[in-house]
Amino acid sequence: MVESVTPKPRVRPFLRLGIFLISHSNYVSIVCFVSGIVALLLLPILAKNTYVSENALMPGSANNMLSTHHVSHANKFINDLTDSHIDSHKIIAQYMSALDAEVTYHKFYPQLNQFHPLHFFTSPDSGIVSKNISCSSLGINIAGIIRAPRGDGKEAIVLVTPYNPKKVGPAEALSLGIAYSVFSLLSRVTWLAKDVIWLVADSQYGEYSAVSAWLREYQAPAFHEAEIVNSETCNDSDAIDELGHNPYFDRKLYSGFRRAGTMAAALVIKVAEQGNHHEDNLNIYAEASNGQMPNLDLINIVNYLAVHKQGLRMKVKKTFSLLGSRWLNTLGGVFESLGKIAKSLNPQWKFGISATEYVEGAATLASSLYFQGLGVPTGPHGAFRDYQVDAITMEISPKVSPTKMIRRNEFILRGGRLIEGVVRSINNLLEKFHQSFFLYLLTSPGKFVSVGVYMIPFALLVAPLPIVAASLHADANKYTPQSTSSSEVDVSHKSWKWLNSARKVLVIHLWGAVVSLLPYFLCQIPNSTPTTNFTVWGLLSASSLLILYFILDSSIFEAATSQPEKSEWASLKSVTISTAFIGLSLMSVINFATAEIGALLIVPICLMARPLKLDTRARSLRTLLRATCNLALGFIAFPPVAYVLMKGAFEDFYGTSVGDYWNWVESLWTWNSATYLYVGIVHLPCWALCIHILFHSC
Amino acid sequence: MKTEMAMGKKKVQWFWTWIFGSVILRLILIYFPKNLNLSSRPEVSTPLTSIRRLAEGYWLKQSSMSPYAGSMYHGSPLLLTLLGPLTVTRIEGQPDHLLCSLVFVMADVVAAMLICAAGKKLQAAYSSSLQFIGLHHLLENSDVLPSGDFAALVYLWNPFTIVACVGLSTSAIENLMVVLSLYGACARLAPVAAFGWVMATHLSLYPAILIIPLTLLLGYGPDAPPRKLFWRRKNPEVDNPTSSDRSCLEDESINEKRMLNIFSWRPVVLFLFWALLWSSYVLVLCGIYVQQHGGLREMFKRTYGFILTIQDLSPNIGALWYFFAEVFDFFRSFFLIVFHGNILLMIVPLALRLNHRPFFLAFVYIVISSMLKSYPSVGDSALYLGLLGLFAYELKDMQFSFFLFSGYVGVSLLSPVMHNLWIWRGTGNANFYFATAIGYACLQVLYLFSLIFTSLLVLILLLSLFSPLVFLN
Repeated sequence: MVESVTPKPRVRPFLRLGIFLISHSNYVSIVCFVSGIVALLLLPILAKNTYVSENALMPGSANNMLSTHHVSHANKFINDLTDSHIDSHKIIAQYMSALDAEVTYHKFYPQLNQFHPLHFFTSPDSGIVSKNISCSSLGINIAGIIRAPRGDGKEAIVLVTPYNPKKVGPAEALSLGIAYSVFSLLSRVTWLAKDVIWLVADSQYGEYSAVSAWLREYQAPAFHEAEIVNSETCNDSDAIDELGHNPYFDRKLYSGFRRAGTMAAALVIKVAEQGNHHEDNLNIYAEASNGQMPNLDLINIVNYLAVHKQGLRMKVKKTFSLLGSRWLNTLGGVFESLGKIAKSLNPQWKFGISATEYVEGAATLASSLYFQGLGVPTGPHGAFRDYQVDAITMEISPKVSPTKMIRRNEFILRGGRLIEGVVRSINNLLEKFHQSFFLYLLTSPGKFVSVGVYMIPFALLVAPLPIVAASLHADANKYTPQSTSSSEVDVSHKSWKWLNSARKVLVIHLWGAVVSLLPYFLCQIPNSTPTTNFTVWGLLSASSLLILYFILDSSIFEAATSQPEKSEWASLKSVTISTAFIGLSLMSVINFATAEIGALLIVPICLMARPLKLDTRARSLRTLLRATCNLALGFIAFPPVAYVLMKGAFEDFYGTSVGDYWNWVESLWTWNSATYLYVGIVHLPCWALCIHILFHSC
Repeated sequence: MKTEMAMGKKKVQWFWTWIFGSVILRLILIYFPKNLNLSSRPEVSTPLTSIRRLAEGYWLKQSSMSPYAGSMYHGSPLLLTLLGPLTVTRIEGQPDHLLCSLVFVMADVVAAMLICAAGKKLQAAYSSSLQFIGLHHLLENSDVLPSGDFAALVYLWNPFTIVACVGLSTSAIENLMVVLSLYGACARLAPVAAFGWVMATHLSLYPAILIIPLTLLLGYGPDAPPRKLFWRRKNPEVDNPTSSDRSCLEDESINEKRMLNIFSWRPVVLFLFWALLWSSYVLVLCGIYVQQHGGLREMFKRTYGFILTIQDLSPNIGALWYFFAEVFDFFRSFFLIVFHGNILLMIVPLALRLNHRPFFLAFVYIVISSMLKSYPSVGDSALYLGLLGLFAYELKDMQFSFFLFSGYVGVSLLSPVMHNLWIWRGTGNANFYFATAIGYACLQVLYLFSLIFTSLLVLILLLSLFSPLVFLN
């Protein structure tokens, strides 16, 4: 007789582990989620001290050469700049070319940021100049280039000082003065191996657009911008022509666009308007678009030189609302005492940090996460990152405000020496920055959490998703009436049953894509306030969802009636969870911080979601609790609510209005932030599906 | 009856609507070439299939140089004559490669039609053979999916196919040729099968291994349950001839002959003859084309040689570019032999195991070669994912289907992101992109494994269903 019984397959230990995890998915997901949050809270403790990784940098190994002589020149330059209210271009160019630098003007039209939903996957575009350009909106960057005596002209270091030619403020003048003092030194030194470009960026239309326009011309020149050249004839730049004809400057002023080599690094130098009354500070801004950071070594050398050589206090952004929060302080205290206990057990365990240090670290980490997660660059340095150039903004904030500064020379000397040290260090580089980390979060200027560590909390947060999806999938299949021998073949599509749910999920995700395309059309409406825009957007999205429901009602949403209803929501949930997992994993590669914050919001509701009807029918305390939890989580995960909560947590609650959400979204898409795509295509549909499951009729 | 007719009509209409829809979608996507920039993506265009290289080759040829000069073009000269003129003709105000795109869209649609026709043949053969061995109830109580239509729609709506078509990859034409040869063999049209096989081999070399399933397909006829079952069926009949009257027996015996006829040599010989004819024809044409530029020797060196020696190490979704970038030069030829031998190694065992199902065997060969070929692209995956629809009936119990689906979605989204991280942002490196290639390879292995596993399960099911019959009789 032929054996008709299929032999029971031998289960391997690995598979057995998998089956164990899947069958206990509830406990596994609770354990994973809680440990994920604990690991996130532990990150400030796990932060390591930064160290200069690239040997060639050798920060601070040479004595500073910047002397009072250079400073007094810079002072004269500042006075000239602030006294004469016209033709600041001319003065800057004169001073630059007096230092034997090659001076060029770069004329540009401020570019309106436009919505490119597909921009993320393409190369930096060569620019779309807005149609209605007039001569008055012409911006002029001035770039001075010092050719390195010991270089081959293949590499360059960029110093950027944004300033507004219409109104040169004292702080801007001071930053220009610092840059000038360094530039005048660098034009005479013999050790320079990389060309130095000093870009004086015209910030009247925003610092970022000026720098990015110059960079675009530098890296990817467009050959079809004849209109700009033509419009020179109508120009308001008589001063430039005048300058060009002046025999005194003739030898060093060039009409075309001049280039040096590839950029090794860029430093944006700014001076804060407000004094901070304590001491001279140095603020570092490093976040570029989509949470990209410059190489950690760049921050390290600035930190090293500022703290150890110039005695400046280094600062990175903090979330101030967290500093005073009680629960964080308590938590810091708990961690501190735990560290003490551990130390008493074994003196070699040194993971304890003091409570204040913990709170400071947590606040810095939170703001680091928030600004990386936004995906909006925090300064003009962001433009460089698009071309893989490491750049940071250094904002020096003096003790007293620049307007009433007495010891200006000393301030310039300090700032200048810092810049000089950094430039000298970068000058030593043999290759482009590659030794240290690109993916990190800062917990203080001297401490960081590397990618290997900060991925752990995220991995723990999302780990339950595939497990729960698998267990639900298995459950949903189990509910199928297991037919016996006669119609064994009739158990048809058993393993393809998820296709129905997948169709539903696909439709909802397409709806998400449509919703995220809507603002493109809405912003074409003239004279609309953010609030009306937001309302129209909300109404349109809701109505499009309803229309989808009605159109596809027959074919998609009711196709599964033959299935047992119980397995229907389970398989829908399993597919939803898998898409959430895929989306979050993708986002963690694109922008880790967004994925982390998004996981905190969407994972609980994804894991908990269960039809309310089932829960209320059971009427036990546990199920009612679960139902209320579900409702609360569903409310929190709704994108506008989540935005308000995030804003409250990281900035403040004051003045939050409905229009704010629109403004936020608009800022996201003008900066081509991937966070926008995440919210539209992953978060919103997953949330909608979870709500659909909550109100599922079963 | 009438309602059935109406149903059928409705179904046909629905089928054509979906086909039309896929064409419209392609045409819409073709109008955004700048935004999508698909033709420069490494997943879509390999050194063999890139339209830009083809245009370059055509330009070289026009300026009376060898089209293979400078290691730019590595495809067939015939494609140059066919698509080359289309790459240079521009229509004012239209996308650059509009005419080429239209050719690819047409190739896709024709391939889908051929898959559909082949599916119908397969299904007819399968149900008749089931009827013959007395298992026709299997077909009655399961809603029979018209697997041909289904497979054609899967092929046309598969995002991979769409991306390969809009990305102007010549793999659409290669796929068409492979499908053509399979269809020819199913319909027992030896000249068509031979033409498809010769062209597919000429274009991308790997379909050469399809000669085994094609021969089996022509010799044995389309897929059927194992021949063992027919023998079993036959023996009881022979034992008690009273159970049926004579005329019926005669009819059946003819049918039996068809089923049991071990190997009909006529179509195979015809196929081989036509293959010889077509290949010499193709070679003569190519010879004329490259006469001035080193002749056929040069052509073989630059096309097949390029495929076999893996000279271009630019990244793609396969694993070989990374491997050969890392490997020491003196091991290179050894590993080349190992990797290509890998494909050949699997041919014989699979042919022995699956010889009763030549079409499925061909499908498995296509999966293997698209997994291990030197310059894989999504176009290759598109072909085997489309053909999978033909086995919908057998594979509906496929394990891990959901896992595989999620894996394909995940990998195909992750791949461009990793590429972006590596090339444009500079925060990642080659390992990031290679990781997705590894993931993709693993997925394909799992896919192949679960496919073969399921088909063997179906076999066991058939055997177990059949065994009681033996005893009943």
